[in-house]
Amino acid sequence: MSNLDLDQLEELKDIMEDGFVDLIETYINDSDEKLAKLAGILASDNATEISEIAHSLKGSSLNISAQTLGGCFKVIEDQGRDNNLEKINENYELAFAEYQQVKAQLLTLLN
Amino acid sequence: MDDSPLKVLIADDNQTDRLILTAIVKKMGHDVVTAADGLEAVALYNAQQPDIVLLDVMMPNMNGQEAAVQIKAIAGEDFVPIIFLTSLQDANDLAACLDSGGDDFLTKPYNKIILQAKINAFSRMRRMNNTLQQQRDVIRENNEHLMHEQQVARAVYDNVAHSGCLDLPNLKFLLSPFSIFNGDVLLAARRPSGSLHILLGDFTGHGLPAAIGAMPLAEIFYGMTAKGFLMADILREINVKLKNILPVGYFCCACMANVSFRKEEIEIWMGGLPDFYLFRNKNREIEKVASNHLPLGVLSSHAFDAGTQSFSFEVSDKFFMWSDGIIESRNEEGDLFGEDRLLDVFHNTPQEHEIFDEILRTVNEFAGANGMDDDTTLLEVTMVSEEEAGTADIDLSSGAVTGPTNWNMSYTLRGETLRNFNPLPVLLNILNDVPSLRRMSGQLYTLMAELFSNGFEHGVLGLSSELKSNAEGFAEYYRQRELALNNIGDGFVKFEFDHAPTKDGGKLEITVSDSGPGFNYESKKETTMVDSAFSGRGIPLIRSLCDNLQYQGNGNIVKVNLSWLTNIEE
Repeated sequence: MSNLDLDQLEELKDIMEDGFVDLIETYINDSDEKLAKLAGILASDNATEISEIAHSLKGSSLNISAQTLGGCFKVIEDQGRDNNLEKINENYELAFAEYQQVKAQLLTLLN
Repeated sequence: MDDSPLKVLIADDNQTDRLILTAIVKKMGHDVVTAADGLEAVALYNAQQPDIVLLDVMMPNMNGQEAAVQIKAIAGEDFVPIIFLTSLQDANDLAACLDSGGDDFLTKPYNKIILQAKINAFSRMRRMNNTLQQQRDVIRENNEHLMHEQQVARAVYDNVAHSGCLDLPNLKFLLSPFSIFNGDVLLAARRPSGSLHILLGDFTGHGLPAAIGAMPLAEIFYGMTAKGFLMADILREINVKLKNILPVGYFCCACMANVSFRKEEIEIWMGGLPDFYLFRNKNREIEKVASNHLPLGVLSSHAFDAGTQSFSFEVSDKFFMWSDGIIESRNEEGDLFGEDRLLDVFHNTPQEHEIFDEILRTVNEFAGANGMDDDTTLLEVTMVSEEEAGTADIDLSSGAVTGPTNWNMSYTLRGETLRNFNPLPVLLNILNDVPSLRRMSGQLYTLMAELFSNGFEHGVLGLSSELKSNAEGFAEYYRQRELALNNIGDGFVKFEFDHAPTKDGGKLEITVSDSGPGFNYESKKETTMVDSAFSGRGIPLIRSLCDNLQYQGNGNIVKVNLSWLTNIEE
C-alpha cells in the first residue's frame, strides 16, 4: 500500500525528466526543515505561523503526489487559521508519521 | 496561430512547487523567470516584462494579492494575465483572488493539461489586446494628424471665407459649426457702389468635404463683388465652378442677396433653401421668399438661371436667412421644429430687435438635450439708411504709380449684349489704371451705374421710374422690364471717356448716350429736385458725385465732368 498517488507520480517523472531526482531531494530537504520548524513552535501559540508553514507543506505534498500527507497538513493549517490549537500535538504526530513513510518511499525511487 | 515562446514569471515561495511548475511551463516551450516572494516578483516584473505571471497566493514579504495589484498598476493599459496558484478550496478565497486583479487561478496539485490550456487562452487574449491597442494607437495618431491638418486648413479657410464684412452693425449672425468646419458658409461684402452682397450657402454634408467647396465660392464672391460685378454674374461663376469641382450628388443650397441702401431694395436669388422671411417693420407682416432655383453646382452653365426676385426694403425692415438646421432641428421625441413654431416666434415677439435672439433661444429650448444636430446658421439683415450704411472700403493697395493720363475711349453695348452683360467691372478696371481714380473707385462706380441704368432702363427700355414708388409698383416695374428686355432690338448704350492731365492732377469727362427717345430736360431745368422725372433718374445723386452735369441732344446724351488733384493723394 503506497502513500503516494502512483499515476500522478508517473506524470511527474515524465514532466521533470532529469530534474526528478533534484525535485525529490528538494522536497525532502525543504520538508525536513519545515517540519522541524513546525515542531519548534507548536507550543508557542503562534497560530498564524503554524498555519503558514502547514500551508506550504500541504501545497508541495499535494504536488509531489502525497495526497494523504497533504490532507494531514491541511488539518493543521485549518487549526492554525481558526486559532484552535486543541490536539495540535496529536495531529502533528500523525502528519510526521505519514511524512516518514512518504519520505521512505520517495527515497526508494531514487535508487 | 502565433506560437512564439512566451516569457512566464513564476512566483512561489515553495521551492518544490516552483520546480514542478517551471518544468511544466518549460516543457510547453516557454521561457521562465522565477521569484520566491511577492517583492521579488514585482521587481522581476519590472526588469523582465514577462507576458504572463503565475503568482502563489501566500508568500512571505509580500503576498500574491498585493503583488498582483502592483503588477497590474505597472502594466497600465497593457494586458498582463495573472494566474493565481493556490491550494485554497473555499469559493470565497478563490473569488478574492480574482477581485484583487487576478485573471484566473490554478489549484494544487498542478495539472499540466489545464495549465497549458490556460496559458494558451491568455496568450490569445493578450495578442488580441495588443492588436487592439496598436490599432487604437494608429487610429489616435491618425486622428491627431487629421485634427492638426484640419486646424491648419481651418486657419486658411477662415482667412478666405471670413474676410468680408459680416461685422457690419446692421448684420446679426450665428454660425454653429458641427465639427471644425461648417457645411454652412456665410459671406458678406460691399460692392464699390456701396450696396451689400450677402451669400448664405449650405453645402451637402458637413466638415472638410463641405468646407472645401466653400473656398472657391468665397474667393469668387469676394473677388467679383469687389470688382463691381452684379449678382447674376457672380452666381453664374460660382455655379459653374462648383459644378466642375464638386462630385456628383454634392452641391450648395444657397441664397444670395444684394441690399441696395440707396434704392431701399433687396434683390434675391434662392436655390434649394427653405423659405426666408422679409419682415416689414411698418405693419409687422412677414413676406415669405421661396427658393425658385436648383442649388448651385447642379446645372450646367447654359441651363443655369441667374434670375432674381426684387423686393422693396425700407429702413428698419429685416430679412432673415437660415440654413435648414433651424427648421429641421429635432426635440427628444424626434419632432421637427418646423415652420409653424418659427412663425410663432415672429408673432409672439413684440420687440423686433429681439426676434433674432428669440429664434435661437426657442430652437435651443426645443432641441433640449438633443442639441442641434445639423449645421445651423442664422442671419438677420436690417435695412438702414444710406448714411448709416456708410461707404464701402476700397482697396487702394497695389497698382502702377503712374498710370495713363492722356487718353480717350468709347465703348458701345448693343442688343443682346446690352441685355446680358454688365459693363461696369470692365470699365471700372480701365479707370482704375489711373492711380488717383482708384481712390475714387466707389464714387465712379456709382456714377457709371446710375448713368448706365438711366440710359438702359429709362432710355433704351423706356421704363418709368415712378412705378417703383410703392411695393405693388415694384412687381409691375419688373414685369414691364422683362417684357422690354425681349424687344430690345438694336438699342444701344454708348460710354465715352476722355481723360486728360491738368496742372495739379487730371480731369475726366464721361459721356453716356443711348438709343432711347430722350426726355424734355429743358422744361425740367428750373423745377425742384424732387420732380419725379429728375429724382427718378438719380440726378441729385449724380450731381453730388461730379463737378458738372449736362444733358444734350434730346436728353439721350448726358455728360459729366470730374477733376482730381495730385496733392490730395496720400
